[in-house]
Amino acid sequence: MSNNKLTVVDREGATHDLEWEPDQSMMEALRDNDLPVLASCGGTASCATCHVFLEQEVFDTLEDRSEDELELLVEAEGYRECGSRLSCQVGFSRDLNGVTVTLAPEE
Amino acid sequence: MRSGTGAAVTIQDPVVIIGAGHSGVAVATGLRSRGWEGGVLLIDAENGLPYERPPLSKELLKEGAPDESAVLRKEKFYADKGIARLAGVTAESIDRDGRTVLLSDGTRQAYHRLVIATGSRARPLTVPGAGLPGVRSLRTRDDALELKRLLVPGARVAIIGAGYIGLEVAAAAAAKGCEVTVLEFQDRVMSRVTSAPVSRHFEQLHGRHGVRFVFGAAVTSIDGGERAERVTVAGGTNFPADVVLAGIGVLPNEELAADAGLECRDGILVDGHGRTSNPAVYASGDVTRFTSPIDGASQRLECIQNALAQADRVAAHITGQAAAEPEIPWFWTVQHGVRLQTAGVRHPEDQAIVRGETSGGKFSVVYLREGRLAAVDTIANLADFRTAKRLIAQGARIDPALAADPGIPLTEATSGTPNHSDADLAAARS
Ligand SMILES: Cc1cc2nc3c(=O)[nH]c(=O)nc-3n(C[C@H](O)[C@H](O)[C@H](O)COP(=O)(O)OP(=O)(O)OC[C@H]3O[C@@H](n4cnc5c(N)ncnc54)[C@H](O)[C@@H]3O)c2cc1C
Ligand code: FES
Repeated sequence: MSNNKLTVVDREGATHDLEWEPDQSMMEALRDNDLPVLASCGGTASCATCHVFLEQEVFDTLEDRSEDELELLVEAEGYRECGSRLSCQVGFSRDLNGVTVTLAPEE
Repeated sequence: MRSGTGAAVTIQDPVVIIGAGHSGVAVATGLRSRGWEGGVLLIDAENGLPYERPPLSKELLKEGAPDESAVLRKEKFYADKGIARLAGVTAESIDRDGRTVLLSDGTRQAYHRLVIATGSRARPLTVPGAGLPGVRSLRTRDDALELKRLLVPGARVAIIGAGYIGLEVAAAAAAKGCEVTVLEFQDRVMSRVTSAPVSRHFEQLHGRHGVRFVFGAAVTSIDGGERAERVTVAGGTNFPADVVLAGIGVLPNEELAADAGLECRDGILVDGHGRTSNPAVYASGDVTRFTSPIDGASQRLECIQNALAQADRVAAHITGQAAAEPEIPWFWTVQHGVRLQTAGVRHPEDQAIVRGETSGGKFSVVYLREGRLAAVDTIANLADFRTAKRLIAQGARIDPALAADPGIPLTEATSGTPNHSDADLAAARS
């Protein structure tokens, strides 16, 4: 399977174009490309340091957030009901090729 | 195995990192993301790719779970970043003056800077019979796989120590149909890290899953012929066991540093930049002891948060940059599917306020010190975890009466105004 393209807007507003490899979660693609995503829980929906905003059209295509994910997100700075995701919970899929994600503010 | 020396030709000796656990790997990646162009060499006694430890007592032990733990980074990552790795090689000694490390393969490795990230090991049981087959501890991937093999339906499992790891294994064993007995010297579970209401909640949870607790139990021996067969406690009572797991804490792997004359005191002593008593040598992660910037206490912290935060400081200092603002210390554990997340470092004398009904299964306990939020335990309550973590960082003052009402968000339970001023925080950190 070939890579996805992923465009990332960082916390300073700069954009980065990444290769998102099929064996990576979205968080891993961000972290392994040196974006400032701490991911201290290793992708287990515990730390919320991998919070990103997706465009609503993209968000709507994904499966619902788990209860843990949602609880960690609602209290986050800038939480968006139809846009906030923990990027460690977003798996690779062809449909996500070329999407743009924005890193949520750090707390 | 030496892999991925990468393109950056070293004009000097590499930064050598001993230990490729969470902290060592984070130093390596941190150096690269901070633009370090010299060599980076990660040395680890364990074989294979560096991996996540938290799943070893959680996901990995589950029935049907794959026999592997998630890797910290995939193999290609190290090659792409020009991070060289030596796996299955132990650092035997450090020559501070010559700036070299002697390795178990007989070679000597020169370093520009040395980072000791050797972590900790399970504290060994010292009672008679502790060496019998069937007596295990849990620290590495190999330990976890061996334990998983032993946890078969009907096996009698005695767990010595009701800390996080002992309890996570108790839950996994019970789920696999083992007969589980937890022997604990104190009078409640997780007594070192949490308050009585949280302990009671988890005791009841385990009880509902058939786990039996024996408190005030001082293990005196493990007996058996070919293998462990029973555990005896002071007073003479014994408990039949096919498998014995010791979860009685950890010891820092500081010998390498101590032998090289670096200052150690139950942990390698480091300052706020991760520097040891030798200017070319740093240390980070479980192996270190340091002064808390929050309350001035001398501490060792055995958690991923600390492993990553210290790694960042080391990478920042080596590259002459400022470290990122660290997360508040925090920890998670999952037992019988119930998630306990802790933020901040609780002191036993803190004022504990229970938020919500413990019987409902979802509640928090907030810990106040001189009126400020110092720590929190959240049970199936990540919204409180998230909020409290932020408020702890701010040094927020909390009104105890408001905090006791789970209907009021914690952010609205703050009282007064004077949080830590920036100047206070800066003073505390320096
Ligand atoms: C079963 C288990 C569950 C855990 N669950 C959680 C959790 O849920 N949340 C949490 O925050 N923390 C958890 N922890 C703690 C967490 O894993 C540690 O805090 C973290 O791994 C520390 O990282 P480290 O890099 O300092 O040390 P380690 O991860 O221990 O890595 C040290 C490495 O150094 C190597 N080494 C040691 N000596 C030498 C030498 N002389 N030469 C070469 N290599 C050497 C070791 O082989 C090891 O690979 C858990 C730990 C265990 C064991
Ligand atoms: S990496 Fe921790 S929540 Fe996603």
